[in-house]
Amino acid sequence: MAWFKKHWFVSTTFAAIILLVFPLLVDNDYYQRVAITVLLYMVLATSLNIINGYSGQFNIGHAAFYCVGAYVAAILATRYHLSFWVLLPISGAAASLASCFLGLPTLRLKGIFLAMCTLGFSEIVRLTALNWISLTRGPMGIPGIPFPEVFGVPLKYNWQFYYVILGLAALAIFVCHRVVHSRIGRAWIAIREDELAARSMGVPTFLYKLLNLAFGTFWAGVAGCFYAFFSSYVSPDSFTLDEGFSILAMVLVGGQGTLLGPIIGAFFLTVLPEAFRFVAEYRLVIFGLAILVTMHVRPQGIAGSTTLSMRYREAQKDDVASDIETGGIAS
Amino acid sequence: MRHMVKVLALVLFVTLLSSVGSAEDTIRVGLSAPITGNYAEFGENFKYAVQMAVDEINAQGGLLGKQIEVVVMDSKGDPKEAATIAQKFVQDKSIVAEIGDFTSTCCLAAAPIYERYGMVQLSPTSSHPDFAPSGEYMFGIVGTQDAEGPFNVKYIAQDYLGLKSVAVIYINNDWGHVTKDRFVKAADENGLKVTIEQSFLEGERDYSAILTKIRDTNPEGIYIAAMYNEAALICRQIKKMGWDVKLLAPSSVFSAKLLELGGDAVEGLVTNTFFALNDPDPRVQAFIAEFRKRAGRDPNLHAACAYDSMMILADAIRRAGTTDRAAIRDALAETKDFPGITGSITFTEVGDVVRKYKVMVVENGQWAIKRDYTRD
Amino acid sequence: MLLQQLVNGLAQGAIYALMAIGFAMIMGVLGLVTFVHGEVIMVGAFAGFYAITFLHAGVFFALAAGFAASWLLGIVIDATCYRPFRDAPHEILLISTIGMSILLKSLAQVTLGTEQKLVPDLVGEGFIMIGDVRILHIQLFVLAVVTAICIALQLVLYKTKVGLALRALSMDKEAAALHGVHVNRTARLGNCIGCALGGLAGVLLGSYYNAVHPIMGASAGLKAFIASVLGGLTSIPGAVVGGLLLGVFENFAVAFSSSSYRDIVAFIILILVLLFKPSGIFGRKGIEKI
Repeated sequence: MAWFKKHWFVSTTFAAIILLVFPLLVDNDYYQRVAITVLLYMVLATSLNIINGYSGQFNIGHAAFYCVGAYVAAILATRYHLSFWVLLPISGAAASLASCFLGLPTLRLKGIFLAMCTLGFSEIVRLTALNWISLTRGPMGIPGIPFPEVFGVPLKYNWQFYYVILGLAALAIFVCHRVVHSRIGRAWIAIREDELAARSMGVPTFLYKLLNLAFGTFWAGVAGCFYAFFSSYVSPDSFTLDEGFSILAMVLVGGQGTLLGPIIGAFFLTVLPEAFRFVAEYRLVIFGLAILVTMHVRPQGIAGSTTLSMRYREAQKDDVASDIETGGIAS
Repeated sequence: MRHMVKVLALVLFVTLLSSVGSAEDTIRVGLSAPITGNYAEFGENFKYAVQMAVDEINAQGGLLGKQIEVVVMDSKGDPKEAATIAQKFVQDKSIVAEIGDFTSTCCLAAAPIYERYGMVQLSPTSSHPDFAPSGEYMFGIVGTQDAEGPFNVKYIAQDYLGLKSVAVIYINNDWGHVTKDRFVKAADENGLKVTIEQSFLEGERDYSAILTKIRDTNPEGIYIAAMYNEAALICRQIKKMGWDVKLLAPSSVFSAKLLELGGDAVEGLVTNTFFALNDPDPRVQAFIAEFRKRAGRDPNLHAACAYDSMMILADAIRRAGTTDRAAIRDALAETKDFPGITGSITFTEVGDVVRKYKVMVVENGQWAIKRDYTRD
Repeated sequence: MLLQQLVNGLAQGAIYALMAIGFAMIMGVLGLVTFVHGEVIMVGAFAGFYAITFLHAGVFFALAAGFAASWLLGIVIDATCYRPFRDAPHEILLISTIGMSILLKSLAQVTLGTEQKLVPDLVGEGFIMIGDVRILHIQLFVLAVVTAICIALQLVLYKTKVGLALRALSMDKEAAALHGVHVNRTARLGNCIGCALGGLAGVLLGSYYNAVHPIMGASAGLKAFIASVLGGLTSIPGAVVGGLLLGVFENFAVAFSSSSYRDIVAFIILILVLLFKPSGIFGRKGIEKI
């Protein structure tokens, strides 16, 4: 990790070159598809990381916003023939709107209570998609989403989608990087480290937390739009709680609170199940094991910094020991 | 850092290993099925049945002088996975066609990919009327709800059971919706009154609330559009309620498992099928015996369809005389009166099969064939 | 019809209550949410199933089998997911339980077979009629078992030293430690008791619905979660009330509207409870908001 940090310019440039020429090096549609999936999850994991890692809020229902983005794109594309490029920001905005809808009442809640609300919200969104048949066709899903077009030329090959998602991922990470290192980002980190202190220093915490949620979920919506156009078909069973848990796992295994973390986590946890397809029955067993092992061996995540985790431990010890401040089991 | 490099290297190595092709003189067929996940028990049946067919063909000398090999991939019942698997299969030049998937959503999600790259997707169990028409390379052999719904209404509800009114309980997934829609539509067209329609979510085990509500509407019969797992539980709960109502269901429930899980609660249930365990046809019996040996349980409709899928595919390859994917597709589309263990199979223009059924009733804990329209 | 829905709801609710009690106990001693309780319930259910099918066990032996199997699993979970992360950031523990849940679910499918399995009726198919309402023996049995467990639990919590330690630990970990409570050991005990109760609930579930399935954990866990939130997360009396309420609510919701909307409404209620009364129906108020 330290080596990368010292030679970040070289390693980033090297990585960028590899990414740019990847489809030319690997002329295999399956591998390209895996690469596209990895990049898509990088966007998703990064978007969740903004929320979980930078403002200390705990969102475990991220699938909801992915779902909103995908469905908004699917419905508007099939019914009103809006173009892919127009729909990218629209889906993002829709997801942000949904998150504000959730956040306004619930952001006052502490840690684990907020987490539970996000879990409930995730299921509500999925069940709504499943049951609101006139809007979403329910379990039948929305097929026939057209290919995106560039100046009238339809994009239908994997390598074309690859460059689109590469561009989107680069954009997302770049914007996140700028925001995180701006005043807003510093405010978020202040809230994460000690919300009470931040507020007493004049940071309007509620507003910033809401902004953080909206910003993070915006990218989830964008990812959803891409997913809808890439698969040409959306259905509610792609957006279960398990999907949200997978994204969460990517963030934590990769390293929360750093920009590199979710990138690595997305790579690791997407490629791993693919690589183990030949032991079909044990694929998920290995996935679960991978999560457990990573948490034990390197709890701050693959790309997380050791100092960060130590700081967490210190904070925990001083802090109230339990997240759930109720009267106990006998109350 | 060192850890990470090691892990990445291992992952890359393993990925490369798993994509190493095999020898030139085998014909490879892909199988996409839910090996893990919520539909794992159904995917397993596919695996056994297809492998059985493959072994049989290989024992008789293989196809076009080569041995066949089946490449199994786990879709987990997740449409995203099915699409990824489709990509992997079409990429592999040694794979000539694909059998699968189990659920219609998986088939539909993978269809654009198979269609784009020109590889046959032959689904043993997708009964969604939109699937086969969605592409030239899409084929389904189980028949669609367009035929099953009216059959359930006319020949089972009205003809055999003589019902005037029926309630519908169905599973809230794409198959359940389509089945319910076709049944209700046929009921409307044939003057059968539907008193109420209620759905339940996948994974739900307690139906007593729904059943109590349905009972209140006083139907003479109840149409259970679900798989045999849920159907068995529903019937048990109906019995526990002390409700004496006629039970009918589509062919999804037809299996030995229904009898095992339902016990005497499913006594008298009427359904349709084109594959029965007590079919006197010796080929069917041979299939059942061999399946029992391999899987340790009786085959059901899904397994029989998977077996026939492989057999039909092999027949098409033989007729095409080549492993060219497009030629195989054309030969498959021309299949006429293929003698499968599930009956005579001819593909319609869109790649579907119009099935004729037998009426089956549970009598004394066994399935009895009451009417047989398959030989018509 | 409504009375019948009420009876069904109470019986269902009793099982939810049992699942929620175990969950509340675990959360009380952990101080955090766990996502592996569904699989604990599943393991107990399967233990009961195997006891009945292969050892021809009677009712009580089957329940004991479920109790023991989940207790043992509780020890394993404590060693792998809870104890090593006692002082770590919350997310790590959470994601470990998620990983463990995935692991157990898949392992169950691989080792126990993917099919749904039949569980014969533990107490026969008898019933009693009160007016138009039919009450099954199994429903009475479930209510009886859950009541007995509650009484037993109350006795343990209030009349034994170990119960005192558990209560103290759940109220304030540091204060309890200062008073000589052995945190790790007590937490493990609390976890095991909670898991064992989940196992019992699993056996009851399997017997009530005559079926066990390796993937039954997901919905069971979710119901336990909702029920205990309704009751105030860590409060045991609250969990009982929450479970019963959830059961009755689910049945009434179907009676008055469509069953497809039932679950949506349940989650909306979950969020509303968290927003307006996070301490639940019974719990005392703590620091839930900033």
